[in-house]
Amino acid sequence: MIPFLTYPLAMLALATLPALAAIYILRNRFRRRQVSSLLLWRFHVQSKQGGAKVHRLQLPLLFFLELLALALLVTAAAGPHWKLPQSTRPLIVVLDDSFSMRAIHDGASSQTRARDFLEKLFRHQPPPSTRLILAQNNPRSLGSAVKNWPQVDELLREWNCHSPGAAIPAAITLASELGQQQANILVLTDHKPDDEKISNPRLEWHAFGVPLDNFAIVNAARTALGEQDRCLLEIANFSDAERTAKLLVQAGSNTVQSSLITIGAHENQRLVFNIPSTAPTLHATLADDALDDDNEIQLLPPIRKRVRVQVALADENLSALANRTLDATGLRAAISDPPELVIRENDSSASSNIWNLRWIFAGATNAFTGPLVVDTSHPLANGIAVEGAIWAGATLTNSPGDVPVILAGNVPLISAREDVLGSRHLTLNFNPELSTLQNTPDWPILFWNILSWRIAEMPGLKESNSRLGAEVVLRTTGEPVTITQPDGAQTSFPKTGGELALETPLTGIYSVAMGTVTNQFSVNALAADESDLSACASGKWGAWSEVTERRLEETSAVWIFGLVALALLAAHLYLVTTAKGGR
Amino acid sequence: MEPAIRQALRDGEQLGLRYALQIPQVAASGWTGSRSGRRAGSSIDFQDYREYQPGDDLRFIDWGIYARTDRLAVKLFREEVTPHLDLILDGSRSMNLENTAKAKAVAQLAALLATAAANAQCTQAVWLSGEGFQRLPNDSLTPSAWDKLELASQRSPDQSFEILPPTFRRLGVRVFISDLLWPGDPLPILRRLREGAAAFFVIQLLGRDDATPPEHGNLRVADCETGEETEIYIDATAAKQYADNLAQLQQSWDDACRQCGAHMTTLIAEDLEKSLSELEAIQLLAPA
Repeated sequence: MIPFLTYPLAMLALATLPALAAIYILRNRFRRRQVSSLLLWRFHVQSKQGGAKVHRLQLPLLFFLELLALALLVTAAAGPHWKLPQSTRPLIVVLDDSFSMRAIHDGASSQTRARDFLEKLFRHQPPPSTRLILAQNNPRSLGSAVKNWPQVDELLREWNCHSPGAAIPAAITLASELGQQQANILVLTDHKPDDEKISNPRLEWHAFGVPLDNFAIVNAARTALGEQDRCLLEIANFSDAERTAKLLVQAGSNTVQSSLITIGAHENQRLVFNIPSTAPTLHATLADDALDDDNEIQLLPPIRKRVRVQVALADENLSALANRTLDATGLRAAISDPPELVIRENDSSASSNIWNLRWIFAGATNAFTGPLVVDTSHPLANGIAVEGAIWAGATLTNSPGDVPVILAGNVPLISAREDVLGSRHLTLNFNPELSTLQNTPDWPILFWNILSWRIAEMPGLKESNSRLGAEVVLRTTGEPVTITQPDGAQTSFPKTGGELALETPLTGIYSVAMGTVTNQFSVNALAADESDLSACASGKWGAWSEVTERRLEETSAVWIFGLVALALLAAHLYLVTTAKGGR
Repeated sequence: MEPAIRQALRDGEQLGLRYALQIPQVAASGWTGSRSGRRAGSSIDFQDYREYQPGDDLRFIDWGIYARTDRLAVKLFREEVTPHLDLILDGSRSMNLENTAKAKAVAQLAALLATAAANAQCTQAVWLSGEGFQRLPNDSLTPSAWDKLELASQRSPDQSFEILPPTFRRLGVRVFISDLLWPGDPLPILRRLREGAAAFFVIQLLGRDDATPPEHGNLRVADCETGEETEIYIDATAAKQYADNLAQLQQSWDDACRQCGAHMTTLIAEDLEKSLSELEAIQLLAPA
C-alpha cells in the first residue's frame, strides 16, 4: 500500500498550529480595564442571568485564515498524493535492441519502420508520459519518463540494435513493474510473440520484421595449437533453399581462403584451418545480404602466456621429473628469470609475483591407494581422477591456513594457501619412489593445472576473441586502465584492483591500455538466433483497452494544497489591508 | 486627603489667579459686601431719589431739595453686596478613575474657580456629593486649606441629592463639576440644582479614556463604582457605538441644560489647562 504522504516527517510542522493558537489566545485574552461607568457599554453587555457561563473564546477571522493556511502548507510540505482518475494512460515502449532489427528490406530496416510507427503514434495519440525500455540480453530503462516526441526522439538515439539478443519477456515484466499495471505497454520488434494470444489488456505487440534469406557466420574461434593457430569458422544458411555465397578469409594482407561455399537449406558448414601463430588479425567476410552484422568477423591471435618456472630441487631425480613434466605441459616459458613459480623442497616467503611449490618427499612415507578426497571445485584438481594409482606421502597434518585439495584421510597430499602479499604457496606431499601417480595422466594434468592457475592469476586479458554481449575479463595490476571501443569511445578506470569485467556492446577491435602495456581483443556478432531471419514477421498482436476507460493513478496533490493556501493568504492580505480582519 | 489632590489644589489656586469669576447682574445681591448690588444700599455711590417715607433715615434727606421744592426727598445709594459661588463636585468614584487625571483635574478646576471667585470678591461654598451633599471643611478659605476632598462615593450625585440636598445661597452662581456618567433623566436634578441660582454652569469633566473608545481587542470592562464587569470584543463597530452613546448622553445633558437655563461645557481632564478657554466662552471666567 502506498502511503498518502511522501514526507510524513513534515507533519511534525503541525506543531506550529498550537503555537499559533497560543499566540492568538494569549494576545486576545480579555484585558481588564476599569471604566467610569458601564452606561456607554450597554449595547454589548452580556446577560449574567442564569449563573456563571463559559465565555467563548473570541478570535478574529485572520486567526482562522492563518491556521488554515498553515495547516495546508504543512500538508503540502508533506508531499501528499492520491489516486485521481485519468482518461489516458502513460506509455512504456519496449524496444527490441537485437541486431536482427537492422536487417534491411526494401531499403528500410525493421528498426526504421518501428521508429516511424512510434512517431506516427505520438502524432495521433500522444500519451501523457512515455518511458523507453531497451530489450537487450538484460533489459534496461532509457532515462526517465518524457512528455513529448522530441524528448522521445532524443532517447531513441541510444537504440542502436547491436545486442546479440533481446529478452523481451523480461523487458515486459520490467515495464509492468514500472507502470504499476496502469501503463500501456508497446513492444516494437521484428518477430511475433511466442504466444500469439496476448491476455494482458495493457500490452500491444507490433512486429516489423520480414522473413529474409541470410548467410551468416555463427561461430568463429582462433586457438593456439603449438606453433600454429587453429581457426574455426561456422557458416549457416538461414534460408529455405540451398545457396551459395562467397567467403573471403584474410590474415593481414594475405588471403587465406577465397571460395564459394554452398550450403543446404537451414544447414551449417564448419571450416577448420591452421594459420601461423605469427599471422596478424584474421578477417573473414561473406558477401552482402540482408543483414551485414553477421557477415564479417575478426579474430585476433590467441593469448599465449607462459610461466617462468625455476626448479630448485636438490634431488636430481625429482628435478628431472619436474622439468620433464613442466616441459610436457607446453605452458613453461623458455627462460626462468625472474621466476613466477619456484619449485623447492622447503617453503619460503616470496614477493607477490612469485608462487612457491613446496615438494615434500622425504621422511616417513605411507603409500595411499585410496580412497582419496578430492576438492573437485579447486583449480588444481580440475580433471584429476586419482583412481588406481598409488600416492605415497609423509604423514602430516594440515598446516593452519592451508586449504587441502587432495586428502588421504586426514593427510593432505596437496594443499594451497595465499599469503598477505597475494602470493600462493602450494604444498605437494609426494614421494615418487613409492608412487605410481607419475605414471598416470593425472601427473601431467596436475602440473598443467598448476601452471594454468598461475597463468590465470597473471595480469592482462584472459582471451583475445569474444562474442558480442559477453564480458571480457581483465586481470589488473592496480594501474589505471583505459578501454577504447571500436567507435572510439573511451572509458577510464583510474584505480583498479583484481579483475575487471569489460562490456562488449559493439563489434570490432577493442583496445585495453593498462599502465604502459596495451592489449587488444576482438568482439564479433555471433548469434545464430539473431542471424536467422526466417522467423521474422510483421503484424500486431494484442490491443490496449479503451483509451477512455477511467482509471486511478497516483498523482501528487501538492499543487492543490498550495493553491488553496495561496488563496487564503491573498484573502488574509486583503483583510489586513482593509482592516476587516478584526486585528 | 491624598497629597496629589492637595498639590492639585495648589496648582489650581495658582492657575486661578489669572482669572476672575464673571458675575451676572442678577447675581449682584446677597450679603453686604464690597461689590455694588443691584438694589439701594449704604454705599457712597449715589443711585436715585425717592420721596421720604416715615421711618427713613433722616440723615439721607436731601435738604437742598426740601429748600427748593418744600418736599422731603431721600437720597438713595448703591447697595454693596458679596456675590456667592456654590461649587458642586461629583464625589463618586468615577471622578477618581484609575489611570486618568480626573481626580487631579477636579481638584484643580475647583481650586481655580474658587480662586477666580475670590478675585471677583465672591464668597464660595464647595459641596461634595457622597452620602448626601456635604460642604468641604474650610471651603470658605483658600483652596489649599480645603480638606477631605475625597472622590470615593459609590453614589451618583442624584442619589446623594435624595439623601441630603445642599443648601445653596439664593442668587448665587453655581457650578456643577461631574462626568455626568450615570443613567437617568438629567432634567430633574438640573432643575433642583438650578433652582434659586443667579447662574448655573455644568462642567462635564471626562478622562481621555472616557472620551476615546478603547483599542481593538478583547476587553473585560469593570464599573469602578459598582464593580460590575462585562466582557466585550472591541472592533470598529463597537468603537463607533461607544462614541455614539457618549454623544447621545452629552446631547441629552445639553438639551436639559438649555431647558433649565444652564450652560454646559465638556473638558478633558488630561487637557485641562489647554481647554480653559471653554470656560471663558460660556462666560464663567474672565481674565483677571
